[in-house]
Amino acid sequence: MAKPANKPVIKMTDLKKRFGVGDAEHYALDGVDLTVKKGEFIAIMGPSGCGKTTLLNIIGLLDRPTDGEYLLDGDNVEDLRSGQAAKIRAHRIGFIFQNFNLIERLNVLENVALPLTYSGVPHMKRIQRASDILKGFHLQEREYYMPWQLSGGQTQRVAIARALVNKPSIILADEPTGNLDSKSSHIIMEELSEIHKKGNTILMVTHNPNLTTYATRVITMLDGRIDTDTAEPKLHENKNEKRPLNKSAKQKSSKKGAKTTKSSRRKAKK
Amino acid sequence: MLLLTDHYRVARQALDRSKTRAFLTMIGVAIGVASITAILALSGGVSKVIGRQVADLGGSVAVIRPSTGRASLADLSNPSPSNAYSTSPLQERDVTSISELLGVEAIAPLMTLSGSVRTNSSTPSESTIVATSPALQQISNLETADGQFIDSVTKQNTAVIGTQLSIDLFGTEQSIGQTFLVRGQSFTVIGILKRLNQPINYNNIDFDHAAIISLESGKLFNGGIAQIQQINVKAAPNTNMSRLADSIKLTLQNNHDNQKDSDVFIGREIAQPTSELFQFVSAVMAVIASISLLVGGIGIMNIMLVGVSERTREIGLRKAVGASNGTIVSQFLFEALIISVLGGVLGFLGGYFIAFVVSLMIPYDPVFSWYIVGWAATLSVGVGVVFGLYPAIRAARKDPIESLRRYH
Repeated sequence: MAKPANKPVIKMTDLKKRFGVGDAEHYALDGVDLTVKKGEFIAIMGPSGCGKTTLLNIIGLLDRPTDGEYLLDGDNVEDLRSGQAAKIRAHRIGFIFQNFNLIERLNVLENVALPLTYSGVPHMKRIQRASDILKGFHLQEREYYMPWQLSGGQTQRVAIARALVNKPSIILADEPTGNLDSKSSHIIMEELSEIHKKGNTILMVTHNPNLTTYATRVITMLDGRIDTDTAEPKLHENKNEKRPLNKSAKQKSSKKGAKTTKSSRRKAKK
Repeated sequence: MLLLTDHYRVARQALDRSKTRAFLTMIGVAIGVASITAILALSGGVSKVIGRQVADLGGSVAVIRPSTGRASLADLSNPSPSNAYSTSPLQERDVTSISELLGVEAIAPLMTLSGSVRTNSSTPSESTIVATSPALQQISNLETADGQFIDSVTKQNTAVIGTQLSIDLFGTEQSIGQTFLVRGQSFTVIGILKRLNQPINYNNIDFDHAAIISLESGKLFNGGIAQIQQINVKAAPNTNMSRLADSIKLTLQNNHDNQKDSDVFIGREIAQPTSELFQFVSAVMAVIASISLLVGGIGIMNIMLVGVSERTREIGLRKAVGASNGTIVSQFLFEALIISVLGGVLGFLGGYFIAFVVSLMIPYDPVFSWYIVGWAATLSVGVGVVFGLYPAIRAARKDPIESLRRYH
């Protein structure tokens, strides 16, 4: 659990993102307030189209909010030029994608070393660091494999290694297990959990409620707003009660969807 | 910002995947650069030949030629340009009055005669008959391999002939004392010129195929009147050439009722009228060649655009892991530049190969100069930048979110 004294890595106030104009106009994010502290492992859930991925893209500086304030490590990102945003992505953010997104013609080692290319690390050092990271994932004997020679689980582990190679302050994972079977999914989640224990901040979008057990905080979104947040009720409860509460909420929401989460939590409170 | 070696590595990785495609595109640029290189090398060869002869003269020679219209497109396409047959305004009187000018050391009028040279047994297809004064030997540095040059004593019916003409007429280089016929008139060979191998020169005479006779003999073929195509004047040492040229112009105008019908050339200008037409032809050919370079450039743009759309997802990913727009632009630009520069190198070498093959059929050699290297380099880099920039900008403008969503 994150300590309250920690400085927030992400602080969002009334964040809005509009797509389309005129009749087609709609808000993918419609007033999101979110504070993420260092060392949190957040699972973001919610039905399709509720704005999860948009939120992740804005956090990762791939997209810009239409309205509202977003502080990353205490800096306002609104006025960043695209080059500066790219620099922040290169140094502070690691992406993990549902479809892995390895470059097919590069081998495992080169794929992992890719982000270092854009943070100014010399070639030999890049390869060295990529190799070190891969060792941690027990993939060093696969260093010179091409992406198509790997299984889905291995591919995603390579992608996670790539996200970690530049030692980012935030790791953003958009349904990292969406294309994997349940066994591989749990291996991936164990890896993410391991990374989290080392002190990394992770934001993960997922559809699978079972995976939220790995997270320290679960956020559900609905229609561009944060619907429930397990970090919110902490003012009224002590920490010991919170863990089991989370679990019951998750299990129910898996069956009935996001809307029931609120009511189930209310029940649990009683 | 990425280092050049990183750009090179990324570009090579990309090109390795589609070697055939990159190679074919490269050929397109190579053809364009090759044709331009070949044209420049060969036209440079002509200018160099004449320029060297002018330099050998040591800047002390002035050449007088009748004024002609400038070389025009019509001259190129007319079967027989009018000025080729027009009568020259230069007369023997002009030679006399110029020779009296201060600073004139030697003067040689050139009168080329139509008609062929033959013996009873052979008629060479290629021959020129020149009537001139003995001073030509000194002015144009003509050396005899055997015998002597025409002089003031040996006036009538004697001739000095070129080595090749001697072989064509008599089957030997040792033909002193032999006779040949010009329009039924018999001439005795008194000297053989050293082989020059300069079919292109400022006198417009290939001396290896020429028969040189005295001006008096030449006049006899023309009803006693000299028909002078060119006058070569050699100045005394330390003469101001431009002042001499001015006084020659003045003298000619006085002689020709103030009509400006002839030109005086000094220094580098001497080579100009000879190479002017050639330069015109080279320019036209260079324009045609640059069209092929343009096609090569379009090939690059085409292949780069294909590459950009094929690698949309890669571009999205690279942006997500920290590539800025500028980095993406330079990555793709670098790729285009590798294609165009390798094509340029290939084309440059190919162009010289073509030039050497062509030079076997024409009487001069291609030149190597840094100016041609410069052109080839500028053109290939220019083509890469001009035609690679648009695809590179297209690549950089791609929205990373859209790009990553592709081909799910």
